[in-house]
Amino acid sequence: MTGLLKLAATFWIIFVACCSAAYAQQQVVGAPPEASNMKLVGSNDLQARSAYQPTIHHQGDRWIAYIGHHGGTDDIPSPVNPLTERAEPNGTSIVDVTDPAKPKYLAHIPGQEGKYEGGGAQMVRVCDGKALPKGDPNAVYMLRTFGGEAHEVWNVAVPEKPVLVSRIAGGLKDTHKNWWECDTGIAFLVSGAPDWRTRRMTQVYDLSDPANPKKIRDFGLPGQEPGSTGAVPTELHGPISTGPDGNRVYFGYGTNKGGFIQIVDREKLLKGPAEPTAENLRLPEVSRLAMSAFNGAHTTFPMLKMPIAEFAKDKDGKSRDIMMVVDEAILNECAEPRQMVWFADVTVENRPMMISSYTVPEASGNFCQRGGRFGSHSSNESMAPVYYKKMVFIAFFNAGVRALDIRDPYHPVEVGFFIPSITKATDKRCVTIDGKDRCKVAIQTNNVETDDRGYIYIVDRANTGLHILELTGPARAVAGLP
Amino acid sequence: MMRSWPVIAVAALALGALSGVAAYENARPRGADWQEIAWPFPRDGWPAGRAFRCKASSCGEDIEVYVRPKLGFCNCDSGVADDDEVDRVADLDLISARFVPLRAGDAVDVAEMRGRVRAYGLNMPDGTPRAAIGIAASRRCDLLVAAAQGKGEAAGVQRAALAFLDSKEMTNWMIAAMEGR
Repeated sequence: MTGLLKLAATFWIIFVACCSAAYAQQQVVGAPPEASNMKLVGSNDLQARSAYQPTIHHQGDRWIAYIGHHGGTDDIPSPVNPLTERAEPNGTSIVDVTDPAKPKYLAHIPGQEGKYEGGGAQMVRVCDGKALPKGDPNAVYMLRTFGGEAHEVWNVAVPEKPVLVSRIAGGLKDTHKNWWECDTGIAFLVSGAPDWRTRRMTQVYDLSDPANPKKIRDFGLPGQEPGSTGAVPTELHGPISTGPDGNRVYFGYGTNKGGFIQIVDREKLLKGPAEPTAENLRLPEVSRLAMSAFNGAHTTFPMLKMPIAEFAKDKDGKSRDIMMVVDEAILNECAEPRQMVWFADVTVENRPMMISSYTVPEASGNFCQRGGRFGSHSSNESMAPVYYKKMVFIAFFNAGVRALDIRDPYHPVEVGFFIPSITKATDKRCVTIDGKDRCKVAIQTNNVETDDRGYIYIVDRANTGLHILELTGPARAVAGLP
Repeated sequence: MMRSWPVIAVAALALGALSGVAAYENARPRGADWQEIAWPFPRDGWPAGRAFRCKASSCGEDIEVYVRPKLGFCNCDSGVADDDEVDRVADLDLISARFVPLRAGDAVDVAEMRGRVRAYGLNMPDGTPRAAIGIAASRRCDLLVAAAQGKGEAAGVQRAALAFLDSKEMTNWMIAAMEGR
């Protein structure tokens, strides 16, 4: 063999080895899930509907999962619901997860017709009637979005037979990630009021009596209000309130660009002048934390008064108010800056500061080549003691769900992950190359939630359904689980 | 005399039409000399686009056009649905955060994409006024945006910018840029 041939053979071997390594990471139907310190307990295909927010509620002696859906796909705009044998636009799935090994699909409430983010009923929150100040004590209320056009409250006390209670509409441009305080009934509804200059802002409602919604005010950033001119600030993604005790609402703005966190005085927001002038919108704001233009804030999850072990002997600042901020990746195959997870110290409210970050190492799974989105999207939002201020779970699209030890939020550490197997229902994700679509199939873990028992629920944007997980090995010890 | 006045009227109409066409042709920047310049704005969330300048000697007034794709747009189905969307996305805020729409926008086609164009009055950081236009067009879940500014009338800026963007070279580039090429 001549020297030239040897060189060519060497390059060929390297080329084949590299490509094989990349394709070895490509998911195939029938292959087992990838996991570390997490294991699958049970699953449900959710009728192959693209999933967004799961909320797990303990009602009576049952545990019920309420799962919001995006609209259908080009191929299947309205999947058939086997329970009714009818084609139904994606809406809300109701699943009995009392036995997490055998989740039972109870009902599907159809949503708005439309495909992808143009339809469905993405968002779900649940409150017991007995917790709400003026609720029917026998009712269990589910607040959901209806596509981009309305918010609805359903009585799901009998989850197999949900009953519509009330509807809030009014020519909305969009809806999204709401928050509902069960002890007061105050709801922060992400809406697009028709006269506002943004697609997503906040409509504050009193839903203490869900049958009779009472509007308190519209809220947004100066420059978004009706009649304003000039640059329009980044649109809202969603708020989380600490209720009257904490008296703060943390708003996350942006998706994958130009994000920031806004800390708002809840009482001033609720009781301040409601007329949407720039001055009135500024009044309840405590401070803002601007993020890089490369990132947006999908989730702003407060963890206040966290004791920091490293600071235990310090005379001041032993505990810190921590905010976890989760960006949302929106482009397939890494065509944008990395969307990830950030931790901010907001103890000194007028000087909030980012203190740490977390991302899945791309090379650990060649995730940019697997197809679909790679990057963070959302976190669990349950504040139940089992995980609160100890662990968080991050939906990371094609990298599945990641379990983080955040007991020291200055140094978050991944302690487990689970990437579900794809199925025949898993939908393709495409990029355009030279004018043509090139598509791949990969898991797209979109949202995650936990229940008080410690089970972890992940749902897939690419129609693969619901997976119920539990921690194993050292990850259980982090949470103090036996 | 009575028989000749229809001829005179027709001739006058023809002359008027011809002069109108001549005036329109004179105003159009066909063959205008557009020079590419460096992207004049600091880095933001999207990669820099391309910027062009046409001097007064060629376009009747100094005009600059800034154009770039913004890949990843949430309104995949509805596209650029209203003028508020143009206000939000069209990069006018890169020129100045203080802009006021002059009137309702219009539908427009750019690089085989449907969108909207709207005229604005700008207040520059040094207090001087400018006329500007914002353009936003979409294809599936991606946007193409352009902004243009000049010292003259917004209508002239819009006419020159749209003619430039409609050129074969710019159309080809915008189509390729929307595909990430």
